Amino acid sequence: MFIEYSEEQTMLHDSADKYLRENYSFENRQAALARDAGFNAEQWQMFADLGWLAMTFEEEAGGFGGGALETMILCEQFGKYLVLEPYLESVVLVGGLLEAGGQTAIKQQYLAGLMAGELQGALAYLEEGHMANPQYVAAKAEVAANGYLLNGHKAVVLNGPEADLFLVTARTGNDVLDSAAGISLFAVPKNAPGLSCKNYKTYDGRSACELQLDNVALDAQALVGVAGEFSELAEPIFSRAIVAVCAEAVGAMDALLNATVDYTKQRKQFGQSISSFQVLRHRMADMYMDIELTRSLLMATAWKLDNGSEDAQQCVAALKAKVGKAGRYVSHNAIQLHGGIGTTDEFSVGHYFKRLAAIGVMFGSRDSHLSRYMQFEI
Amino acid sequence: MTDNLFREEVRAFLERALTPDIVRAGELMTSVFADYDATMKWHRALHSQGWIAPDWPAEYGGTGWTLNQRYIFQEECKLANAPSLPAMGLQMLGPMLMLHGTEQQKDYYLPRILSGEDMWCQGYSEPGAGSDLASLITSAVRDGDDYLINGSKIWTSYAQHSNKIFCLVRTSKEGRPQAGISFILVDMDSQGLQVEPIVGLDGTVEQCQVFFDNVRVPASNLLGQENQGWDVAKSLLEFERGGHNFTIDHKKQMAKINKQANSQRDADNQLWSQNPVFTAKLADIAVDALALEYTELRVKGAFEAGGNAGALSSLTKVVGTEIGQRFNELSLEVMGEHALVKQLDALQPSYQGDTIGPDCGLTTMAEYINNRASTIYGGSAEIQRDIIAKRVLRL
Repeated sequence: MFIEYSEEQTMLHDSADKYLRENYSFENRQAALARDAGFNAEQWQMFADLGWLAMTFEEEAGGFGGGALETMILCEQFGKYLVLEPYLESVVLVGGLLEAGGQTAIKQQYLAGLMAGELQGALAYLEEGHMANPQYVAAKAEVAANGYLLNGHKAVVLNGPEADLFLVTARTGNDVLDSAAGISLFAVPKNAPGLSCKNYKTYDGRSACELQLDNVALDAQALVGVAGEFSELAEPIFSRAIVAVCAEAVGAMDALLNATVDYTKQRKQFGQSISSFQVLRHRMADMYMDIELTRSLLMATAWKLDNGSEDAQQCVAALKAKVGKAGRYVSHNAIQLHGGIGTTDEFSVGHYFKRLAAIGVMFGSRDSHLSRYMQFEI
Repeated sequence: MTDNLFREEVRAFLERALTPDIVRAGELMTSVFADYDATMKWHRALHSQGWIAPDWPAEYGGTGWTLNQRYIFQEECKLANAPSLPAMGLQMLGPMLMLHGTEQQKDYYLPRILSGEDMWCQGYSEPGAGSDLASLITSAVRDGDDYLINGSKIWTSYAQHSNKIFCLVRTSKEGRPQAGISFILVDMDSQGLQVEPIVGLDGTVEQCQVFFDNVRVPASNLLGQENQGWDVAKSLLEFERGGHNFTIDHKKQMAKINKQANSQRDADNQLWSQNPVFTAKLADIAVDALALEYTELRVKGAFEAGGNAGALSSLTKVVGTEIGQRFNELSLEVMGEHALVKQLDALQPSYQGDTIGPDCGLTTMAEYINNRASTIYGGSAEIQRDIIAKRVLRL
């Protein structure tokens, strides 16, 4: 077959499933949601102790050398149990970018802390009005004495309120604001003078902020990757992030289908289980088919990314588009088949729905990736 | 041999054996069947090469290829526009004979399937028994060493070309409907057997109705035991579902629609391939086709690991045929009125005269019309969803 799991990968899957099943009940999750941080710091520490946070870093950096497949395996379980902790933001995005491009001092200062669960990160790269294009960057970084001076505004910075470290994109050259060339990435500590955050919650229960940078002075060590080459640095990291959220989506869709099957079996109307009605049975069969198709594409994409296949980027675009479509189909019908109870905050189904809605718009919507897909030869 | 070397060998053979008239028949296919004469010519060419039944075990005349090699062979044949071979003998009855046949039955029938001497058709559906196949009433009553068959079978593809038919018949009315069904092999030239063609929507005959009026068949023509025919048929149906590779069809459809979109123009005089509505629709289909391709690889992997695909073969049947139909619809959008021109003569590979309109649109309407059947035959899309609900979701 085109994909075979190693023994370690199978173990990772099984142990993540087991740990979360035993320790991550929906009730506990809802309790954590009510806290200020929006997640459970003790859980985060457990994730670190279990080795999950270090899983995908190189061994020389103190990690276990995992790739897109390991990211997929973990995130699928996170999706299934609706995990709130900011694995995507701190580990996949910030950790991935720091490992790929951070200078020694910054790496030493932050990377070990991220893996140990002691520090949090947030990537600030989007700007208002340009959600589909991470290469639209109006924020500027001017070369100043011993370093850089940053000015600008960043929108929807996920995990921003919890972050100890921000990675911020700013233009160092090329005045064309949507040019891929000339964008640089900078490591900005949360207490840097001139940095201000407007914090808020997102509909899927996470925290985020708008980030304002007014004459934030950074030393030369703060530059992550080569000046002007953020786009090259980021492509594999964004691909990994898309695998992460799509795996989460597959886990969430699985959970929704299971919940819907169980519910329709026990819910009685007209004197019988509503699962006996063919219109509902076929709806659930369609949900199943969409999930399995998405799973196939997810596995193939992760595999291709890890093996450097030529068509990996095309698969990434196809995957994100497919998740957009399937995520809506599955979550809408899960709510529909649950009836009124599915529309309440008290019941888990609506929370899966909101997470899938969030994933649908992140890192390029369905339409955005369909457009991208068409640019490849098909 | 590496897969690449194998692919080269297949290509070399195809270049030699696929004569222009055979290729033309493949290009002009408007359903799962190609022109009969060209199909049989291709059948004989494959048979003399020893490649007629790659899916059969080598002891029965198969090629001994790996699953990958068989996939490559299918893919190369399709992309080179080789006509499809009818599935009834090679894909359906053959494997069931191997599983359930007596030594005499295997020795007699299998070589005749390979050589093309026998053309089989499938007698399952009846006017009153379609999706609810077990309600069939065509009866076989024991009379000495024979059975006497009475009743009728319908949607019998290729019956007009066949000399044999394998049938499900009722041999008992006791117990569950499934428990009184037998599987029997019948000569089409038997006394009392009559074939009536059914004209399809494109104006051609692909299906027939077959009538049985006291047709006498030796009891030794049973496949399996009396009243055990349902089990024989069930494994056959699963073979029919799991046996088809839709991705290869979709690649051919993709090549065709790209050809159409790169020659026909939209209302703004742009090539359709530049039209944003067209490209968005095609991208949506292509993404689903890609997801299906990797699902088919998962199915293949399950087979390789010695398991079976289970309900994933219901999934590939539903999704594969529905994607095929979406390609057909999109082609109509591109070809416009060209698709209206009915020129059945020009769909014959032997046709030498002039054709009307672009060559890439000759088959568009006929394919669209005929492909409506794809979500009905071989277990309808609704029956497949029932299977998924019951077997996978345990509803």
